[in-house]
Amino acid sequence: MRAIFNIARTTFGEAVRRKIILIILILGLAFIIITPGLGILSPRSERAAVTSLTLGLIQMTSALLAITLTIYLVPNEIDRRTIYTILCKPVRRYQFIWGKYLGAVATIGLMLLMMTLVLLAVFAFQFNDRGFNAAEAAELAKAPLMFFFQMSLLAAVAMFFSVWTSPIVNFFLTSGTYIAGTVFNGVFETLKESRSTSPILRALSEAVQAILPNFGRFQVQNAAVNPGQVIQSEAVYFGTAIGYALLYIVVMISLASVLFENREV
Amino acid sequence: MRSDINKPVWLGACAAGIAVCAALNQGVLHPLWVRNYAPKNLSVSSGLAPDQMLLALAGFREMVASILWVRADTYFDQGNYDAVLPIIRMVTWLDPKQIDVYSTGMWHIGYNFTDEQSRSDRRYLPSALALGAEGAKNNSETYEMYFETGWMWFHKINDQYDNAVTWFEKASEKSDIPPARRNMLSSAYQRAGQLDKALKLYYDQLNKAEISMKEQLDQVTAFTARQQRDTVEKNLDVFLVRMSQRGNFNADGTATELFDTQPPFDVGFSAEVSVIDAAVLRVRATWNVRPVGTRIRVILRDADYPNGTDAGMDFGASDSVNLDPPKNLTFMQDELFIRNRRADKKMDMSRDPTMYTFSKDKYYLDFYYNPRSAPPHIQDRFGFLGEGMTDKNYLNTTARNGERVIFHRMELTRDMLKREGEWIDKMPILRTPNFIEGSSTRTGEEELIKVPGLLNK
Repeated sequence: MRAIFNIARTTFGEAVRRKIILIILILGLAFIIITPGLGILSPRSERAAVTSLTLGLIQMTSALLAITLTIYLVPNEIDRRTIYTILCKPVRRYQFIWGKYLGAVATIGLMLLMMTLVLLAVFAFQFNDRGFNAAEAAELAKAPLMFFFQMSLLAAVAMFFSVWTSPIVNFFLTSGTYIAGTVFNGVFETLKESRSTSPILRALSEAVQAILPNFGRFQVQNAAVNPGQVIQSEAVYFGTAIGYALLYIVVMISLASVLFENREV
Repeated sequence: MRSDINKPVWLGACAAGIAVCAALNQGVLHPLWVRNYAPKNLSVSSGLAPDQMLLALAGFREMVASILWVRADTYFDQGNYDAVLPIIRMVTWLDPKQIDVYSTGMWHIGYNFTDEQSRSDRRYLPSALALGAEGAKNNSETYEMYFETGWMWFHKINDQYDNAVTWFEKASEKSDIPPARRNMLSSAYQRAGQLDKALKLYYDQLNKAEISMKEQLDQVTAFTARQQRDTVEKNLDVFLVRMSQRGNFNADGTATELFDTQPPFDVGFSAEVSVIDAAVLRVRATWNVRPVGTRIRVILRDADYPNGTDAGMDFGASDSVNLDPPKNLTFMQDELFIRNRRADKKMDMSRDPTMYTFSKDKYYLDFYYNPRSAPPHIQDRFGFLGEGMTDKNYLNTTARNGERVIFHRMELTRDMLKREGEWIDKMPILRTPNFIEGSSTRTGEEELIKVPGLLNK
């Protein structure tokens, strides 16, 4: 465990100093700050539009951060040959993978926390006169909390791909998996529900939706965007979704470890 | 350092882990997510540009909806009404919480598609009402869409008032309804013949207004409360006077000759319809009521119009919003405004072939008058429910479930309306048997409004 912790700490230290990561973060924060200005597009639903847009921005920025950060973690160590200095010590390969992954997750967590704090500050400033209070802030913060588990899962997927593909290929594979698990959820639902869909296509879309990590399950922002909805079994849902993420992460990192065991470095 | 892990066992464990994840996803997460967190309509809609679709699917639905609505406003200003329709549907799909889009959309569909003579296309009304119902369902926490849907029944359809009552009652149950809007329910009760409920609601409203007036401390809210109290008080006074005049307080529940509504007044309806050119009607009618304010509804529709009824259709029959109503159907509704006890109107449908396709063989031309829609000075004689009105030929109590209305139906064929076949050189003229030629010919006095007075002779 100590080896994993040390690698994670080093990875975290390196990650927060990477310029590309900081640039993405700064852009994300800037967009979050200026977003309330777009509320005029929807005068009576200003709050809903701004909430939707800011949470969407956080999600997109986090996804970009998670992918950009994780795809280089293992290849960089191999390219710079620093991996030899690590693996020649009493460190097992799976410990190296887990350490790298946890370092990435800690970085993503920190950046998500920063964006969430800025979001809450922006809302407190913008909607203070319209009853934005602690309870609403807590409700709003649930979405970034679930984004954290979503991005942790995304980082695990990127880590899995990173042990056997190049960073460029990994970028497209991970992005594709993320898009399939979020954006195309609606497409899969349509295919499943449509009467005109052939049974083969329906079965295929069900299989793909079941097997691929379903990132859409962590998109709980609809409750914050449209307050007043009655949410049933919230604790059960959050618990199950987090359990789902953790189990999938263990599977992905285990697969990455198994593949990395047999890789010549 | 390389470990000696058992690869097949690990891979098997990972496969089992993925299977558990799939089961969790489909068995627990999916149903809860759909119930709690999914946008109202998850399926993919056509009509969005690829960039809009991507943004919408990526979670920016509300913002895309807002941008589209701004674009709809531009189209509306340009008079491009057709382009607004799909945007309304897309915006409500993307963001079902945009109440303004629902209310503006149903108003637009219901009112703004008109022919060259400003008759609105009533084929859209079922969709407009369905849109209102959908908006109410998706925004059940507020009164707004219930009220808007009720208003469409009350004002646009202006008939079958039980439906307006139903929607206004639902709106009134919501805590956010302004008192002035709740007053509308009383008007709907009156037209639906539920006078006791109308009276009770007025008293209830007055009571609430007086309590509210006492509670208000600042000047603005106190003024609003006082205004509401004064309005309800005036409405209640007027209503009580009218009920008294019209015999609604009579001990045995029926008005006698002591009241203004008795004996029933014979309106003496008669009509003649001439097809003066292809898809052009000249309609003349007599109406033995001298005061202005009578409007007789004229409806021309396919004999087999879906959900067609006497002098109308079942407007509330549709559950789905179809913004492209069947173009092969014809439904025209117009009104004859009575001046000096007669009406003479040309109804030109020839310039709107997409609205009046006349693609069927048989048509009904219905004349309809419901005293419940009459202005108060007419109702003072006819009563709230038409108990003071009669017609020895055309009084009807079956067209609207026991309501006293004037109703008469004529049947026409496509050849008659299009002046084809045997009617090429011959003008089709249909008359009620009691129509007297010359009684409604123009005299030059038509625009002269004579001193009001209800005379039998």
